[in-house]
Amino acid sequence: MNLEKKGAAQAAFLSAMFGCLTLALVNVGTEMSEAFKNWVHWVGKLWIPGAQGIGPYSGKETFMLVGWLLSWLVLYRLLRNREWNNALVLAIFLVGIGVATTLIWPPVFMHLAGHH
Amino acid sequence: MNLFAGSEEKTNRAIIIAIVVMMVVVAGGVLLVSAPASRLLGESAYSIRSAFHGLFAGVLMVTITIGMYQAFRLWTGIPINMKELGMGSVVNAAACFLTILFGNWLYIPYRAQGGPRFYFLEKAPEIHKIFFEFKEFGALFTLPLLVAATYIIWQYGEKLNANKPLRMVVALLLTLGFFYFLVAFGLGAAITKLKAA
Repeated sequence: MNLEKKGAAQAAFLSAMFGCLTLALVNVGTEMSEAFKNWVHWVGKLWIPGAQGIGPYSGKETFMLVGWLLSWLVLYRLLRNREWNNALVLAIFLVGIGVATTLIWPPVFMHLAGHH
Repeated sequence: MNLFAGSEEKTNRAIIIAIVVMMVVVAGGVLLVSAPASRLLGESAYSIRSAFHGLFAGVLMVTITIGMYQAFRLWTGIPINMKELGMGSVVNAAACFLTILFGNWLYIPYRAQGGPRFYFLEKAPEIHKIFFEFKEFGALFTLPLLVAATYIIWQYGEKLNANKPLRMVVALLLTLGFFYFLVAFGLGAAITKLKAA
């Protein structure tokens, strides 16, 4: 890894954003479809102890972890010895976090899911 | 002469550590024999998991507040001891993980039949549907943000002091982590006051 480049750091914070965004999108999906919600819950029950009691939240956590860690792995391999334009990467990060935050605000995801 | 000075320094450090350990043991002993632990934890069947969730959230409140101060120093370019920052960031991320872990465990009685979720949905649905739901998702955002900050601090170490863009990125990650923590902590405390699990 080349620490003279910012690539490894960019991979770390971009993947954090992808994790948050994955959680937000999966949550919108569970509000839109009962079948998807049940499937997400089933995924959570595959490995989280007590997931039956935790509900679909367990699956949403699982998808957040997968989205975060998988994107970190991919981005790390892409960027470990190079770097992208830092201002651009930072702008993408901030927009992504902003979108994720907006999507987890209940009136927004309820509206998107058609629950008025 | 230098060897003697080094040995004296070591002795002083050992004395200070011994005094601190003794004070902790005395304070812990007094607490153990005098504090009503059952009152401290509460009478709920879920008191242990609530206590640990609150304990780690309390630790996180301290470490993340220090993180905010360090973020300010990183942002303004004040030189920082990176070993100190690195250790603090690990404690920060670990406290965050443990808070979420115990929060998950506590979520089971919250959702259970007759639990606070049912109470809120019946009496004041917006408390669960808006504030609790936002809290439970926002709280999860803190983990990847704080882990990313920790990773960058450990990976780049002393190089961070001379790298303004990365210093600012770490400051931003710590600040965002603080924001989501504060939202989750504030709403969590408010919900607990309204109806404990």
